[in-house]
Amino acid sequence: MTGTIEIKHLNKTFDDEFCAIEDLSLTIAAGEFVSIVGTSGCGKSTLLRTIAGLEAPTGGEILCGGKPVHGTSPDRGLMFQEHALFPWLTVRKNVIFALKASGRYGANGGSVGALLETAGLAEFADAYPHQLSGGMRQRAALIRSLAVSPDVLLLDEPLGALDSFTRMVLQDEIIRLWQARGNTMVLITHDVDEAIYLSNRIIVMAPRPGRIAEIIDVPMGYPRNRGTSDFADLRKRLLKRLDFAAEVEQEYYL
Amino acid sequence: MKNRIICTLPLVVSVLVMLQYVLVPNFREFTPLDQNAPTNVWLWFMGFFALAFAAWNVAAVFSKRAHTQLRRRAPLLTVVFLLVLLFDFATLKTGWLPQPFVPWPDAILNAIIRDRAILLTSLGHSLRLLFTGYAIGVVLGIITGVAAGWSVKARYWVQPLTKLFGSIPPVTWLPIILILAGSLFGGAVFLIALAVWYPVTATTMNGVLNVPKSTFEAASTFGVSKPGMIFKVAIPASSPFIFQGLTQGMSIACTALLIAEMMGVEAGLGWYINWQRGWAEFAGMYGAVVIIAVTFFAVNAVLGVARRRALRWKEGGA
Repeated sequence: MTGTIEIKHLNKTFDDEFCAIEDLSLTIAAGEFVSIVGTSGCGKSTLLRTIAGLEAPTGGEILCGGKPVHGTSPDRGLMFQEHALFPWLTVRKNVIFALKASGRYGANGGSVGALLETAGLAEFADAYPHQLSGGMRQRAALIRSLAVSPDVLLLDEPLGALDSFTRMVLQDEIIRLWQARGNTMVLITHDVDEAIYLSNRIIVMAPRPGRIAEIIDVPMGYPRNRGTSDFADLRKRLLKRLDFAAEVEQEYYL
Repeated sequence: MKNRIICTLPLVVSVLVMLQYVLVPNFREFTPLDQNAPTNVWLWFMGFFALAFAAWNVAAVFSKRAHTQLRRRAPLLTVVFLLVLLFDFATLKTGWLPQPFVPWPDAILNAIIRDRAILLTSLGHSLRLLFTGYAIGVVLGIITGVAAGWSVKARYWVQPLTKLFGSIPPVTWLPIILILAGSLFGGAVFLIALAVWYPVTATTMNGVLNVPKSTFEAASTFGVSKPGMIFKVAIPASSPFIFQGLTQGMSIACTALLIAEMMGVEAGLGWYINWQRGWAEFAGMYGAVVIIAVTFFAVNAVLGVARRRALRWKEGGA
């Protein structure tokens, strides 16, 4: 089925030196929203880039929709922390560029205007990226990624550089678009609340070598409430798993 | 009130230039057969500016925009026309500047008019040479620049070349090129292309190296093909750098053009200057200098407009 991701005994080593990922296996169901959290250097970015096809595995394999991953494909979209919009193109032309490059302009080209409209980008459609605020840029990048209708969208800390209010607005936007399209989402984040708020499952990774420490199910429906006790319990459990619970917890609420 | 007076200054000074020309006696007598005998051409020329300034002042009374523009440019224009006034005074009126080596504006204007056919041909030849060499240099420079920015292997070979040619002024090669080249025109084209190639290669390479990795990675997730990566991603992304090379290249190309024409190519404005000097026709020489200045200014202005248009997407403009 399209949109499933099967990671089988994945190994990734850089320059034969340190082991970024060691013997990692994970299956993600089609249409699932999975978050990956972990301290820096735990290999979560490497894992995402390997799923995207930007890095080749040293050992093991990744199947996406049953087919082995070799290089990048429009079936697996990737959204970056620093928007990665093409600065020389307007928002609309960025979307059209993606559609034409992926050969999906014929199928999806007609809906560009409507897509920008639903994302609140209609009045910025002909603006260049540098004219937009940080939040609007990420919104545009999200729409550009989704415009080509990928089976899987990989999000590499897409909201990490935004202020917390803009971040919450965009979290709701991501939920809305994901529910409307039903594609698989894999999100990397440093923000424990973001992981709990968005995902069906949270993968906690541990460093040296990069591996899965724990998989936590989030048995809550959408939309979620950040203030419930279930939410707080999950946050406590996650922070403890990440070794931050004891002393940092108090600071975290500031 | 003060602003109004400043606005009228260019008009006042241009009228002063005409009055000086008519009323102040010349430093020597001229026979009517003398080629440099003062004519009314200078009065027509200055009269044109005086009328234009008068019209601008009238417009400034009615239009706020015309007033702001005139007020901004008036001091500079006043100084320029004061210098013209001084120049005419130091040549035709007093002969203070060494005569006959520094002719006066009227003589220069008349020389341009007298030699207009040959000047036009020379201008055409110069422009043809300039743009042929420039176009070849730019195309080759972008090709090697993109290759060197793209691939480590290409950079290994291109970088020493740019270092070598970057440290040697391109006109150094001129004598060798003129000996080896089958035709003088071909040799000069080669020289100009070489002069342009270096800055365009260096800036293009820099530009491609400065494109963020995520830009290429994003393009690759959309399935952009290899040629697409070069033509639709690498080149537009590095266009601010490429335009820097185009501007630098143009100024080097202009220099190379004139030196080539003065040293060997027997046509063009550079050649005309030398030829006039040989005949001690100093007015014609200065006339060609004026035409060169105006032409190069225009060429660079067109390049500037193209640059601003192409880089509209950039933060803070081009």
